[in-house]
Amino acid sequence: MLNTNVYQVAGHRFAVTAEDGLLQKMDQQYGPFLVKDDNTDGLVFWLEMVENEDFPSVEGVTKELMQDEDAGIKILTGSMGQQSYYEFWLRDRCEGRMLTDADRKKALLVDPNQTLFALNNAIMLMFAMATARLDTALFHSSVVEHQGRAYMFLGKSGTGKSTHSQLWIKYIPETQLVNDDNPVVRVNGDGTATVYGSPWSGKTPCYRNVSYPIGGIVKLRQAPENRIRRLRGVEAYVEMIPNISGERRDKTQADGIHATENALVMNVPIWFLDCLPDEEAARLCYETISKK
Amino acid sequence: MKQNEGFVLREVCGEYVIVGEGLNTIDFGKLLSFNETAAWLWEEAGRQGDFTVDSLTEALCREYDVTAEVAHADVADIIDRWQQSGIITI
Repeated sequence: MLNTNVYQVAGHRFAVTAEDGLLQKMDQQYGPFLVKDDNTDGLVFWLEMVENEDFPSVEGVTKELMQDEDAGIKILTGSMGQQSYYEFWLRDRCEGRMLTDADRKKALLVDPNQTLFALNNAIMLMFAMATARLDTALFHSSVVEHQGRAYMFLGKSGTGKSTHSQLWIKYIPETQLVNDDNPVVRVNGDGTATVYGSPWSGKTPCYRNVSYPIGGIVKLRQAPENRIRRLRGVEAYVEMIPNISGERRDKTQADGIHATENALVMNVPIWFLDCLPDEEAARLCYETISKK
Repeated sequence: MKQNEGFVLREVCGEYVIVGEGLNTIDFGKLLSFNETAAWLWEEAGRQGDFTVDSLTEALCREYDVTAEVAHADVADIIDRWQQSGIITI
């Protein structure tokens, strides 16, 4: 039977309509974000799962590669009139197809294998697009919390973001993981920034519905020795760009992401850490950035 | 000459930087800072669409109090840097 669940992530509500079985399958990740009252007012988007035969035929769409991150994940995109079309590929297989309406508030998704791969990527994409103009950004980052403040670790895939979080948890007392892959950041009216846990956390099952003020953002790079320095202005801005999701070729979204990122550069200390995967890296990082 | 699609001028903390925001600019991780004159010229080049050293020199002389000779040299220099960075096509 079809059912609709409403979820709230970083204060933004969205709805997913799907078969009960699939909604149950989502529960481990999305359960902590489920809204009990089922109120569908003020949703940032609504995603509906459909069967293959109920998906509109897609013709004359020129597909372009939008994202090619890690582990063979690809997202292809194209325009069909006012609508936007997306394909979610894992290695050499198309795992799902999505069609959105012109303002990207409603989307239809086909996920024939029901692996949650396409569904997770579709929801993340819709979330990033819908909230870009709302002082919100979906990050690619591993985040820890220490004494009420969150510290975000950024870097290319394989740099060791998760490893660095684990080093903090092991060697810095009172530290815990907030999210290991896709946290959400919001810039508040007073310029301060808050990071939120989300239903997406990469390979680590850490789906916590929590939020903390951001104490610092650290860009990591593997190096033969540990060294940390502060980034300012455009340098900080440019280092953060590859770690924020969203479709920057859409001008209103790009403007929204820019505004969020600019506010972060002005209000949050941002650092560059050359590091080894060792205890000293975690201690150097902690001692430098938690003093600010 | 034309600006390549997807390169956008952004103001960050009062400084100007070119950011790749198109599908074809994903790997543009470079930090390309502009001073105020270069930023103004980039926007003017965008307004003109199809621009030349002469058309930008002329525009620069109308906007700023500068001799044609100096303006021409500055514009040629800036366009050279744009070309080397891959953000325009000759």
